[in-house]
Amino acid sequence: MIYYIYDGSFDGLLTAIYESYYRRENPVKIFAENDFQQNLFIPKVHIKTHKKKAERVYNSIREKVSRNALRNIFYAYLSELPNVGTWIYDYIKLGFKVKEDIDKYLSDKRVSKIHKIAQRVRHERHLILGLIRFKKLENNIYYSQIEPKYNIIGLVSPHFAKRFSDQYWIIHDVKRKIGSIYNKKEWIIKDISSIKEAIKYDKNELLYQKLWVEYFINIAIKDRINPKLQMKNMPKRYWGYLTEKAYNSKEGVRTCKL
Amino acid sequence: MELLDKLKILADAAKYDVSCSSSGSKRKNNKGIGNTYHSGICHSWSADGRCISLLKILFTNFCIYDCAYCINRVTNDILRATFTPDEIVDLTINFYQRNYIEGLFLSSAILKSPNYTMELLLETVKKLRDEKKFNGYIHLKVIPGADPILIESAGKYVDRLSVNVELPSNRDLKLLAPQKKRESIIKPMGAISNKIKEKREEVRKYKNASKFVPAGQTTQMIVGATEDTDLNILRLTEILYKQFRLKRVYYSAYVPVSKHPNLPSISTPPLLREHRLYQADWLLRFYGFKANELLYSSKPYFNVHLDPKSDWALKNIHLFPVEINKASYEMLLRVPGLGIRSAKRIVTARKMNSLNYEDLKRIGVVLKRAKYFITCKGKYYGPKNVNIDKIRGMLIGNNYNLKYKTSEGQQISMFNLYPSVLKNMIVIL
Repeated sequence: MIYYIYDGSFDGLLTAIYESYYRRENPVKIFAENDFQQNLFIPKVHIKTHKKKAERVYNSIREKVSRNALRNIFYAYLSELPNVGTWIYDYIKLGFKVKEDIDKYLSDKRVSKIHKIAQRVRHERHLILGLIRFKKLENNIYYSQIEPKYNIIGLVSPHFAKRFSDQYWIIHDVKRKIGSIYNKKEWIIKDISSIKEAIKYDKNELLYQKLWVEYFINIAIKDRINPKLQMKNMPKRYWGYLTEKAYNSKEGVRTCKL
Repeated sequence: MELLDKLKILADAAKYDVSCSSSGSKRKNNKGIGNTYHSGICHSWSADGRCISLLKILFTNFCIYDCAYCINRVTNDILRATFTPDEIVDLTINFYQRNYIEGLFLSSAILKSPNYTMELLLETVKKLRDEKKFNGYIHLKVIPGADPILIESAGKYVDRLSVNVELPSNRDLKLLAPQKKRESIIKPMGAISNKIKEKREEVRKYKNASKFVPAGQTTQMIVGATEDTDLNILRLTEILYKQFRLKRVYYSAYVPVSKHPNLPSISTPPLLREHRLYQADWLLRFYGFKANELLYSSKPYFNVHLDPKSDWALKNIHLFPVEINKASYEMLLRVPGLGIRSAKRIVTARKMNSLNYEDLKRIGVVLKRAKYFITCKGKYYGPKNVNIDKIRGMLIGNNYNLKYKTSEGQQISMFNLYPSVLKNMIVIL
């Protein structure tokens, strides 16, 4: 029995998979550093992230298994669930065995597990595409804060780079202290631990917030009020950053929850 | 009048338009603002639980018509307002850039004349597309009676067009909307449908052929304002899908907005009826059902207690149970409780190994209703000594009275609930 521990990066996880094949070891679990809980009796191997090794695993999954499997693995990884490294390892072991048919084995536990997790991440990504709210700042930057359950900031950024290709924008994941920053050419993800300057709105920002909130109120049919349905479609955990829900008439939406 | 007040009035006036969809178009961002997302994106959900995808507003709620069911009718004493094209353009762009919306759904009451109104709508969408280089989604309502040239011209700018059928039968239209004519609704629908077909062929031949209503056309009907049966409504729906290739038919439960001798006096909108129609609509579009399988002249209304598919399955119980490992995809779609995704997963998974009950759960099939209608490797997982009344009881028990009170639906007699055919007991296994 043996545990692998990697640094938490996607490359780290792929390196761990590489090592298990190269060393002919069969780790029972693969953990990220942060999720690891001490267990004295089981030997642990710390995996050092290695870009080249990770790349080889990446390419061989893409070519020998399928692009779809690679996507599933990446989406599942972004769930950041404590045990996801192990589940991905089990899934890809089967993948190297049955090749491109892997995603047809829907009744296999290893496959259904990864599919379910990837599906949840995909669902949140799609929801966030709609729920992100930008606020225009005085320096013409459209700034948005989110606190998604999963680490989907890199999955939503390409969408906004296409859609708002002519706007400067920042999507700030407050929970993970990272932000996706777009400069009208490309986007990159950077650490944002704190914001030093006070955020100042564009002079018309509050007007449009108010217009939107009024629209939101008036578009509902009063004879059909259905808060349960509303909450089912739009879970409450997202409301804190929604202009129409977090709005207060004096200062608009609070800029920052840091 | 302030922009804010106009928005309040004209959003409020637009809320009875059902459509919210922003799907079906693949418009790219061509060095301007925005694009469309093929499967559509919901941006929020209002207090009634309906999704908000587009900025849904009327251009004006001043109207020369007097349709009894409509809140904007000329004889109704309400606040009135009219936007300018620039105001709508400004709202759309600013909402869009903040990611509040997917685009614009512009409709209107009829100001001065149908042509005058249609020209204003056209001017607005032209400004958005040509001046602002806006590539987001635009859904435009066709004003009945407007010149076909105007409608065709609008089709080049927008993603979706819709003409409202409003009422299922001509008789009701005469009674409740005397100024609207059947032809003024059907004609543009036919013209749009032909043009879409023509353009599609053109696009196949020439790469750079211009688009025409790429997301297709839709329509909307009011349910419960007249005495039309569900059967009539469903038949009309089927014709609209077949003949005019509509993308969607929307139903809107009539919300009592006025007292009129020709209108029914109801206190709440018939939401259950609307719900059943949507269920049946899905069965027509995605599940291979025909209208006459679900309703016929001796059964003109939907079952209040059962969804249309379960209702159909109980009437055709001789076809069940089906073996999950052998049944065709088409037959799987007819099993109550199995949706398209489940049916597809079953078909994929059973190629690799034959499926038992636990496998079904694992691949994400919901068996609450399906278990009464299937076997897995020959084994039945429903109750012992099963008979049709038992199944009916179980199915109704699950959703009876949960969502809706029965009183709002059609009056039904006990005999309707227990047709004689169903008394034949069947024992499975």
